[in-house]
Amino acid sequence: MSESLEKLQNRILSDAKHKADETIKDYQAKSQQILEEAKQRAQREFEEIIAKANVEAESIRRSILSSKVRVNRLRILDEKNRIVEDIIHSVEDQLSSISKSEQFEETAQRLVTEAVKAVDTDQPVVRIGFRDMSKRNLDEVSKVLPKGAKLVIDEKPIDNLGGVVATDPKGKVVFNNTFKSRLERLDNQLLTLISSTVFGE
Amino acid sequence: MSGIDAVKKIVETEAQARRIVDEASARAQQIISETREQAERIRQEAIARAQQQREEILSEAKNKAEAEALQSDKETEQILNSYRKLSEERKATAVSKAVDLILNA
Repeated sequence: MSESLEKLQNRILSDAKHKADETIKDYQAKSQQILEEAKQRAQREFEEIIAKANVEAESIRRSILSSKVRVNRLRILDEKNRIVEDIIHSVEDQLSSISKSEQFEETAQRLVTEAVKAVDTDQPVVRIGFRDMSKRNLDEVSKVLPKGAKLVIDEKPIDNLGGVVATDPKGKVVFNNTFKSRLERLDNQLLTLISSTVFGE
Repeated sequence: MSGIDAVKKIVETEAQARRIVDEASARAQQIISETREQAERIRQEAIARAQQQREEILSEAKNKAEAEALQSDKETEQILNSYRKLSEERKATAVSKAVDLILNA
């Protein structure tokens, strides 16, 4: 009786220890699995943060560079514009003082002839006005006027730079052949010419 | 040993067995609890490492872009200088051609 009781007790305790060991073993395995999953999740989170950082870094780089490139392109454009404007001012200076040059008579005659031809009338009214224009200058201009033409002399240069404006007698047909008007008409050609001469473009 | 004593012994042994199982269960819960804490530490450490690396990546990108921007400034300055030099050299020719265009076009 005593022996079998002891056996039973040992069996009960042995079963309990076995169950306890199994429980611990199960939970240790579960623990390992939790750790493994945690490591994998941590690695994924790590990689996601780094991937986002790389995208953000590229965005920062592009932002800094594109902003700088834009500013520098504008600086280059501004400088080219400044140079072209400076040249156009010099051109305007030369044109406005053309009456002092040897080219004046020939130029004035050409401007008058073109303007008269453009209004296409027997009695054109031709206004002429250049800076520092002399009587001698006007004598030469008169030679190219048609018989019925009327010459009006402006003491001041027309449109600031000087030139010629022809109209029909009623003033309905007008042809503006001032230097300012010619500069505006030839604007595209002028810019191309200056750019190609200075910048080789 | 009487039957009652034997039953008592069995009851005591059963109680002891339950304690063994309960202790194992408690220990197991403790293991899981510690494991979860350890898992959270692993996650936090990984995030901290990633954040530090992120700062380094961003800082490096910013420095690199600023260096490239500086290079762009230098190149722009060279272009501007070359334009100024060309302007000085060719201005008279350009003015002459432009005047000629306006007078004779």
